[in-house]
Formats: sequence, C-alpha cells, structure tokens
Amino acid sequence: MGIKYIFLVSRQGKLRLVKWYVTLPQKEKTKIVKEVSQLVLARRPKLCNFIEHKDTKVVYRKYASLYFVAGIDLDDNELITLEIIHRFVEVLDRYFGNVCELDLIFNFQKAYFVLDEMIMAGELQESSKKTVLRVMAQQDETEAAENAERGWGDI
Amino acid sequence: MFEKTLTDLIQGLRANKRNESEYIGKSLEEIQNEVQLSDMHYKSVAIDKLNYLHMLGYDMNWANFNVVEVMSSAKFGEKRSGYLAATQSFNQDTDVLMLATNLIRKDLSSSNFMEVSIALDGLAQIATAELAMDLFDDVLAILDHSRPYIRKKAIVCLYKMTLKHPEGLHDFVPQLKERLDDPDPSVVSSAVSVICELAHTNPRNYLPLAPKLYHLLNSSNNNWMLIKIVKLFASLTPIEPRLAKKLHGPLSNLICTTTAMSLLYECINTAVVGDIISVPLPVTDSIGREIDFAELCAHKLEVFYDSSDHNLRYVGLVTLAELQVRRPDLVVNQYETILRCLDDPDMGIRMRALQVVSGMATRKNLTQIAKRLMSQLILSHTIALKPGNTDGEPDEGELESSPLIDPSGVSLVSAKGSFTTPKKAANSSEPNPADSPEYRLAAVEAILDMCSRQSYANMTNFEWYVAVLVDLVYIAGVDVGHLLSQRLLDATVRVRQVREYSVRMMRRLLSDSQLTEYVTGDSPNAAVLSTAAYILGEYCALVPASCDDIGLLLLPSLRRLTSDQQATFVLAAMKVYTNWLQDVSGYWNDEIWELVRSTNTTTMDSVTSLFFGQEGDDLDMAVAELPLQVESLLRHFIEITKAVSVATSNMSASEPLLCRELHSLFTMYELNPVSAAAQGKVPVPEGLDLESWIGDEIPDTSLKVIPPPPPPPTQRHVRTAVDDTRTSGSRKADRKNQPFYLEDAADRPRNMGKLPDVEDIPVMQLDLGDLAMSQTKSRKSDKPKKKKKSKSSKRYKKRTPEPSPPIVPVDIVGDEDMPDIP
Repeated sequence: MGIKYIFLVSRQGKLRLVKWYVTLPQKEKTKIVKEVSQLVLARRPKLCNFIEHKDTKVVYRKYASLYFVAGIDLDDNELITLEIIHRFVEVLDRYFGNVCELDLIFNFQKAYFVLDEMIMAGELQESSKKTVLRVMAQQDETEAAENAERGWGDI
Repeated sequence: MFEKTLTDLIQGLRANKRNESEYIGKSLEEIQNEVQLSDMHYKSVAIDKLNYLHMLGYDMNWANFNVVEVMSSAKFGEKRSGYLAATQSFNQDTDVLMLATNLIRKDLSSSNFMEVSIALDGLAQIATAELAMDLFDDVLAILDHSRPYIRKKAIVCLYKMTLKHPEGLHDFVPQLKERLDDPDPSVVSSAVSVICELAHTNPRNYLPLAPKLYHLLNSSNNNWMLIKIVKLFASLTPIEPRLAKKLHGPLSNLICTTTAMSLLYECINTAVVGDIISVPLPVTDSIGREIDFAELCAHKLEVFYDSSDHNLRYVGLVTLAELQVRRPDLVVNQYETILRCLDDPDMGIRMRALQVVSGMATRKNLTQIAKRLMSQLILSHTIALKPGNTDGEPDEGELESSPLIDPSGVSLVSAKGSFTTPKKAANSSEPNPADSPEYRLAAVEAILDMCSRQSYANMTNFEWYVAVLVDLVYIAGVDVGHLLSQRLLDATVRVRQVREYSVRMMRRLLSDSQLTEYVTGDSPNAAVLSTAAYILGEYCALVPASCDDIGLLLLPSLRRLTSDQQATFVLAAMKVYTNWLQDVSGYWNDEIWELVRSTNTTTMDSVTSLFFGQEGDDLDMAVAELPLQVESLLRHFIEITKAVSVATSNMSASEPLLCRELHSLFTMYELNPVSAAAQGKVPVPEGLDLESWIGDEIPDTSLKVIPPPPPPPTQRHVRTAVDDTRTSGSRKADRKNQPFYLEDAADRPRNMGKLPDVEDIPVMQLDLGDLAMSQTKSRKSDKPKKKKKSKSSKRYKKRTPEPSPPIVPVDIVGDEDMPDIP
C-alpha cells in the first residue's frame, strides 16, 4: 500500500528526479523506471492517466514538458494519487515561483527536499501547502546563514 | 582552486551534449579528488555533484564513506546534502550503514529540530533491519517531542522501521493509538495513515480502535484523512460484520454530500468491496426519496463512467465491474452507456468496458452485444497503426522553461466536476485501439464466453451462433483458431438440431480456397479447417451427399498439416466417400454404375497421389515422410477403393452389397460427447488392484550415456538422488549470482546414480583404452570448479550411498542388431 515510487521524466526521456519508497536491487529499479517511462511517454493526451503495469498501477500527469509518474498498489485510490502529484507540483510552483523544468534541473536537491517534506515512506505526511513552505523557508534560512558565515572565511 | 559547483556541473553537462561521457568522466575524476579534501564544504559540493550524476545512472557507491562523512558535518546544509545522497544511493547491503548508526542517533537527539527532521527523513528511507533494531527505541522516544512536526514524522518513520523490524510493532502500536488523540490534526492524520497500512495486513489488532475512528469519520472534514479512514474500514468490515451496519449511515451521508470526486470514489469502492451494500437499510438520497443503498451507489457511479473525463470513466468502470459481481441486476440497465464506452480510444477503458459488457449478457441482448463487438472487429481490420504525436518537436530549451502549472488547474479534492487536463493537446492522428491484437483477442473471447456461459444459458438460436463462429474465422485477425474450432465442435456435437446447419457451413468453409490453399500445420486456420473436416465427415449423413466433398477433403496441401490434422482429413474423406456410395446405392442404374466407377478411379488416384507425393518427388522419401497414422489410413482408403472397383467391375442390375454396406464401418455406434469427469465415475471392478506391479520392477531406462568401464571403483563417485537434492539448492543459488559461471555437467541429466556394475555391461566392449583414462581425469577436474563443490564432493565420498534399487542388467542393442527398414 502507499506509493512505491515517484519519478519525473522529461519528454525526451531524461530522468529529472526519482524517489523510491520500497527496497529493490538497483538493477530492478532502473529496469522499472525505463519500462514505465516508455509506457508513459507513448501515451496520447486524451487517454486516462492510469496505466496497469505488471502488478502495480502507474499514475501519471503531464505538466508542460515534464511527466510526473507515481507507482501505486493495485488496491490504492488512483484519484487521490493524482491529487497528491498535483499538490506536489503546486508546492513546487510556490516555492520556486512559477516553476519550470529548468528550475528542477538546477535545483534538484531542493526539489528532493520539498518532496521529502510532503511524502515520506510512500504516504502523504503533510497536505498543507503553507506548512511545507514554511518549513522549507526555515531550512533555507539556516543554510543561508551557515553559508554567509562561511563566505567570509573563503576570501 | 577552481572547484566546480553543482550549477557549473549541470551547465557544463548541458553545454557538452555531444561529448557527454567524456565530460562526465572528467568530472568524476575531479569529484574523486574533491572528496578526499579535508574541507567539509568541498566534500559536500562534491557529494551533491555525485548525486546528480547518480540520477543520470552513474554509480556512486565508491563514495559511500565520504557520504557518511558529510552526513556527520555540523553544518545543516551539508548534513542535508549528505542525507540526500545517502537516501539516493544506499541500499540494503551498503556496509557503511553501520557507521551511520551512531551518527543518526546523535542527530535524533539533537536540540535543533531541523536536524531531527532530516535524520528522520533519512532513516525512513535507508532503514535496514539492523538500523531499525538499533534505533527503534530512540525514535519511539521522539514520539513525545514537543513539536507536532517532529511527532508526525516520527510516526511515519516508525512505520517504515517496523516493516524491517517487526518486533518493534509491539511497542509501537499502543503509542500509535495514543497519537490518535493528539491535538494536532496533522499528527492524527499520519497516525491514521499508518494504522490504515498496518490494518491491511492485520486488521484484528485495530478493531478496538473502531469507535475512535468512527468518531473521526464523522467529525473531520479533512478529506485526505477521511479517505484513509474509509479505506481502513474497508479492511475492518470483513472481520466485523456489525461494523457494516454502523458505517452505513456516515458512508451514505458522505456519498450524498461530498463534492470531492476522490472521496466519493473511495466511499463507493469501500461500500462495494466491503459488502456494505448488502445491508438492507434504506437511505434517503439527495432529493428525499428513500432508496436502497446499493442503488444509491450505482446511481452515483453513473456520474463516473458517464463523464467525459477519462480518468473518472476508468475508475467508474473498475468499480462497476466489482458491483456487477455482487449485484448484476443494478448493472444491466446501464447497457447503453457501457456500450458507448466500448468505443473509447483508451485501451484500458475499453478492456474494462468489455469485461462489464460481457458480464451483463442475457438472452435478450446477447445478439446485440455480439453484433456490436463484431462490427468493431470488422471496421478495423487493418492492423497498421499510425504514429502518434506528429507535430514538430519544439526546442528542448523552450520546453524546459515553460511553467508547469497553468492557472486553470483545478484540484480534485475540493471541487466537483472533471479534472482539467493541462493544455498542449497535440493533434495526432489516432490509431484505432481495436487494431491492437490484445483487444481483438479479448473481444473474441468475450463473445465466446458470453455465448457459451452456463452451458449456453443465453443462447436462443444456435444456428446464429455457428454463423458467428464462422464469421469470426474470417474477421478475427488474431490467432484464435483453436478456440473457435473447440467451440464449433462443442456446439455441433452437443446440440443435435444445429448439426445439419453446421455441416453446411463447414462445407462452405472448406470450399473457400482462400483458406485452404495456403494453410500449413501451424497457421491459425488449420485447427478450424480440421474441425470442419471432422464435422463434415461425422455428420455427412445429415445432408445430401455430394462427391465433390471428397475432393474438398483430399486437399493437395494436406501434407503440410500436422499429423493429427491430416489424419482427420483422411478419415473424414473416407466417411464421406462411403456415405456417398451408400446414398447412391439407393437409386442404382447403369449411369450410376458409370459414375461410381469413375469417381472411384479419381478417388483412388487422389489418394495414391497423396500417398506418393507429387510428380518428381522421391518415392521413398515421400512415403517415409508421412506420419504413421496417416500412412495407415491412406492404405485403408486405397484398399477400400480397390474393393469397390472389384465389386463394380461388372455392370449389374442391382447395387453391389459392398457399396451399400461400406458406410457401416463408421456408423456402428453414435459418438456422444463424454464429460471430462466421466472416467472418474467408472467404478473399479472387484479384484482389480491398480496399484500393484504387474511384472517385475522395471529399472530406470532413461540411460542415455554409458560411460566407458572405469578402472578401480574406489575412485568412482556414486551420486545418488540424495546428494543431488542437497547440493542443488545452495549451489544453484550461488551459481545464479555469478554471471561468469558456465552451465556445466551438473545441469545435464544425472544418470550416474543408476550405473550398472562393471560386470553387467554387456557385449559391447568399447575399445577406448587411453581415452578412458583421459575421460576420468577430465571428469575429476570438472568436479571441483569451486572450492565449495570439491569439499562437498569429498564429504559425500565418505558417506555410504543410499541403497539404490536393484540394478538389472540392461540389454543394450548394438547397431548390428537393429531391424532393417523395409
């Protein structure tokens, strides 16, 4: 139960972010990512956002040039997963300010941090956008403060 | 020093698209140097870069120790990078995880809540059994942390840890239950999520929580949590039927009032799957009428599969299929809507709709549904698919900088109505999903299933059914030959009335030269044609006999079929011929006599030509190629024709006895269909013991290789069955992990256990001499390919072998003794 993996893939098939919530050997992971991205990239726009792949359901959504893909169990609610993906994208949007794929490429760790705040162990742990953004802001402040101290030492 | 930052790396990568692997190789070298530096900052930057490369597929396990170093940094930013790298690249057997234990423990007890939070995040990802066991108590203590933010994370982290360390569940569950009363809603929400997951595997433990959860269900308006609670109840109701009654109220309330599609879906799903619809209490729906709960669900489901949004359709159909299993009556009147779903371009939706449609077939609508499905198959007989998105690919850079969300994006949980999919729908030429072989196969199977369900309960007109089957032969487009032939046979044999019609149709099939000309043994039509031949032969008496049929059955392409199929055809030809003879004997006169003679001659010619192959073929080869069964049948046929020619050698006034009676060769008994369980019902006669041996015990004759007589028996390694089973498991497992291990003699059949003694090897003395010596030597070197193997083989030498069955001297026939082939 719960989300098994989340990954973001561009239209050209490049992986932008991947997070696994189940333990699998590395080769299995790359295989699954490859297969599922092929399935997702081949979908036409008017089809529904759920695909069945072996013993999991794949829920995906296309935002501009990026596909957000989540894999869930057979008995999970697909609609809510779609909603979780949407929430994540909204938070990213607020965090980066009108986010685009470039932001995610250059600030991939920040994207991971946001994802970690929202989803842990395959479950949504924080559905409030405000809280997530607040926590991220706090963390960023701390980091900036540290770097500022450090900055003087560099010169 | 000019170390590249992360941004530089990424920019560099994008700039060097052509020589990417060189650039990456260079960067990896730089990173290797950087991680050795003592300055934590550079180390962490290096780890960040490595992380990025890992995402592109490059291994970063060599830097595991450095990652742990960075994790231990005092600075928050660096620590965060370290933990991130750890979660991305550590897996279950990373050895440096043990170093991390104390580190994580320190972080967990830190006063800075952010450090605690990243430690919890990281732990949830990388927990192994040892880590979980060691750190369980620490995290358990954090459950009482003053910040709800931390408490919430601790709950979820503990869940993950109990997956690896199940004993911890014991301590965790009581605390978890307390957390349900926590003042902070997000903590309660996580507690509920975790309970939902745990209850899935072990619902009984959480049953006492039901009252509390019920209270939450009624009082909360946090849709996320509600969904989890509803799902939780779905796993609880099977073990506690009284819950169903209690849930009835709130669930129906939710269903009627909620505007969130996902919640509605979850409620209906739970209601259907958890069997709450079987509760007979009525509900008042939105306009005040009192209706049955199940009807309410069905009514609401209609909104789903009738919507124009594909997601809702799909989801609605899934639940509808579930509902159909339990309450088929509710689904039947949705017939029209579902049929429309059959035309949906999405494959998933179509397959689901197909499932539902075939489930709702009754006597009245069977023909309609079948017609609809068949028209789909006919319309798209072309298999060629057109490619998808054909608009020109915009520049990658442009794409990447366009915003992800456009302002019209609507959220599901808070608003009713369909989900708006983001813009940029490409105008692609749509390939018809009915072209896909999976769909066609599914459609054909659905048609067949609908018709033959429950011994043809839905069938009113069998002739129509046979016609459908014949049509399917033409339009199916996929390999369903066996299926169709089986059904044809089934219908014809079991339903007397349709036999005549069936024979006519089979005749039509066989006269279709398109089908018969190019058929081979494994082509899809072969099975159908051979069944057609069988039916024609078996029931030829039902239709006026025609001597053309014989020509139909003795196909020139007969030899290309499999032996069973050929036999069917020849046998059918014999039956048809003798039947025709019998028929013709009824009105014997001189013309008929001429006719019989000429037909007999032509038949004899065709049979012999089948027997001897085409002109110019090597006679011996042609005959030798024939399967034995077919050869014998053809010989019989030739004899019959010879007999007939003898019998009609003189023109006589009355028909020869032979012609009249030949057909009785095949009509002594009527063949009835026999059920598969019939054999089991035959009682075993008295005194018949099916278990005891009839004669002497027969030794294992699977001997394929007789090794040359080995010298001193002490060196021989008798491997018995016991050894085999013991070693195969562990060794095979080892072997699987070693990619360079060749499959060796151990995988070939193990016949060594039943070696006859030296004296028992009969006449054939193989003069191998020194070859024998070298063979035994190579066998010995074969054995210890791995150290483990030699040890085990040594061990087994000392053990006394199990008593093997008595070895009977086997008489091996040498080449000289083989009978000559005539």
